[in-house]
Amino acid sequence: MDYTVKTILKLLLTLLILAALGWLFYQISSLITILVISALIAYILDPLATHLEYRGFNRFQATASIFLVLSALVIGFAAFYLPPMVVDLMAFQQRFGDNEATAGLFTGIEKFIKDSIPFLENHELNLQTRALEFMSSASASLYAAAADALSWIATAVIMPFAVFFLLKDGRKLQKNLISLVPNRHFEMILSLNQKLNDQLGGYLRGQFLESAIVAVLSAIAMTILGVPYAVFIGIFAGLLNMIPYVGPFSGGSLAVLVVLLHGGTAELIVSVIIAFAIIQFIDNMILQPLVIAKSVDLHPLLVIIAILIGGQFFGILGMLLAVPVTGMIKVITIEIYNTILKYQNL
Amino acid sequence: MAEDLFWSNIFRRVEKTELSTRDVLKTVPIFSDLTKRELKYLERILHKRTYRADEVVFRENEPGVGMYIIVSGKVNILLGKEHKLLALLSKGDFFGEMALLLESPRTATAQATEATELMGFFQPDLFHLLETRPKTGNKILHRLAQMLAERLKQLNIENRQLKLRLTQFTAESGTTR
Repeated sequence: MDYTVKTILKLLLTLLILAALGWLFYQISSLITILVISALIAYILDPLATHLEYRGFNRFQATASIFLVLSALVIGFAAFYLPPMVVDLMAFQQRFGDNEATAGLFTGIEKFIKDSIPFLENHELNLQTRALEFMSSASASLYAAAADALSWIATAVIMPFAVFFLLKDGRKLQKNLISLVPNRHFEMILSLNQKLNDQLGGYLRGQFLESAIVAVLSAIAMTILGVPYAVFIGIFAGLLNMIPYVGPFSGGSLAVLVVLLHGGTAELIVSVIIAFAIIQFIDNMILQPLVIAKSVDLHPLLVIIAILIGGQFFGILGMLLAVPVTGMIKVITIEIYNTILKYQNL
Repeated sequence: MAEDLFWSNIFRRVEKTELSTRDVLKTVPIFSDLTKRELKYLERILHKRTYRADEVVFRENEPGVGMYIIVSGKVNILLGKEHKLLALLSKGDFFGEMALLLESPRTATAQATEATELMGFFQPDLFHLLETRPKTGNKILHRLAQMLAERLKQLNIENRQLKLRLTQFTAESGTTR
């Protein structure tokens, strides 16, 4: 009897601690998101720093050099690209009201859709009203994001710091953590750490490389076709490309939307769709088999569930991080299982 | 005045122990080609581990990932379930270096016989060294290869002698029959 009471108490205590941890995680979820992103960036940049060390730099010089180049790129991109885009977006909102040209545009689009999809002929699409609704809700959330400026500034300060120190001292940090492991498990953990580094590094760099190539291809294609914001669309498409099925479709949709809003022709829309189809073909047939490790093949259903969970707890960033994080969890589980198996089969 | 002495004493002691660790490293054959600077860097990446008396460093048949150097204390190398003593190693000795090149099961058990301080040098450290400081890494690798070649040579001689004795033995037993 005493025993069961003790067990129940223990169980309750464990549950309480877990709940407290969960609550804590939820409360600092934005900080966790920042740290996870920083760690991912540091991880992807690590081979570059190692290569610079090979070239004769010390770790600090290597990290600082990478950091300077990266900062210049990000700031340059933001300075040259964001202001005109914000101006454009605001102009759109103003133009969007009951302007006749906009009305004409939407009638044109509706006609195009009805002509292309026969069974919609007798339906009232009300595209303009819906677009207006969408725009107002989008701008509302934009304002909300702007009001959250403080957290954005915090992110802009914390993240570079975190990336810098994780890149510079990542190995030292790992060594110090490993030094805490008791002698009995020390070699096992050391070996596990090395395998995780190899596997995770390979997986994350593969994902990054694939996304980067898709982004560059998309940006080039959009530039050739004369679509505005080609670079932005490219980055967006590259990031979303990690999400199977939905991702590539979203990238293409954004491009089509931009073309529509800028009053592009039907031919241009078709060209954009064809361009994205070709990029997807290249990605699926050439990039994925080359770049992504087969062992980290995630089931699409698992990916979708992971994205929903990520979105639930960590917002849009969580959705984007869901795929690499799920891949990491899979790699970690497989490696831990293999290592324990190896050490048990004595 | 007394305080001054106190501080200078501590300082001297720290300097002395640091020097001794590096001296120990210098005596290890695979590090003997390294410059002072390289040894200093190596010291930073090595893993310092302390063991109580009778604590096991690694067990026979466990997968091994690297070697250990004895900074202070003593380590027994034991074989089989009956723990047959193969060697008693002390300060400056090293063991497990084969695992640096080949991640294979340990061929014996290592156990500290007294409070012991070891420096661990493992495969990931060697690979990292080869990536970031290839010159240093290659010096170690070269020494390691020399050591293995030397051991192979000795084993070869021993093998030849044994074969010779075996043929002599079979010839002798043939004539006596």
